[in-house]
Amino acid sequence: MEKELDKVVEEIMSTPNVNGCLVADHQGLCLASKGSAHVDSAGIIVAISEQACKIQPNLKPPTVCLETDNKICLIQRHGTITGAIFKQKGAA
Amino acid sequence: MEKIPDQLGYLILTEDGAVLESGGDLENDERVATIITDLISLSNSIDPVAFGPEEKFKKISITYDDHWFSICISNKKIYVVKRSIQTSSSEIAVNV
Repeated sequence: MEKELDKVVEEIMSTPNVNGCLVADHQGLCLASKGSAHVDSAGIIVAISEQACKIQPNLKPPTVCLETDNKICLIQRHGTITGAIFKQKGAA
Repeated sequence: MEKIPDQLGYLILTEDGAVLESGGDLENDERVATIITDLISLSNSIDPVAFGPEEKFKKISITYDDHWFSICISNKKIYVVKRSIQTSSSEIAVNV
């Protein structure tokens, strides 16, 4: 069952500038993680996506982007599943 | 804040979430103010492995299909701007 998910995670990890990827369920339990994304942050990532959904609950879940000087964390919810991608800011 | 292009609304908050200034769609929107301050406190505790302790977030954006919220902190105040996304029907803007 996890094979499909692992395939998607691998695909994401092979994209340029991506150094971590995490998938969690609606309870904040980690389903898959790879690279710099730590399993322990699954709960916080789901909490952030839930919090962002509260702004406009009647619209479809938004993409949350957290930026530091040289890294980006993208969080997107789809149904009960939340995905997070940790990226290095590219030169472009 | 009113002069920002494509701006639909804005909020300026204190660090504890009290509304200092507001306008447009977000005028006196204390509900959104509370959600955003909670979101900021949550984001402070994100992944210590991927983001070192010295790496603080400098910008948060929340993107919907046709508008987005940009959140920044400066001088101990939280600045929130709601902006519209201009897209033609044939292209979808991805904000990275």
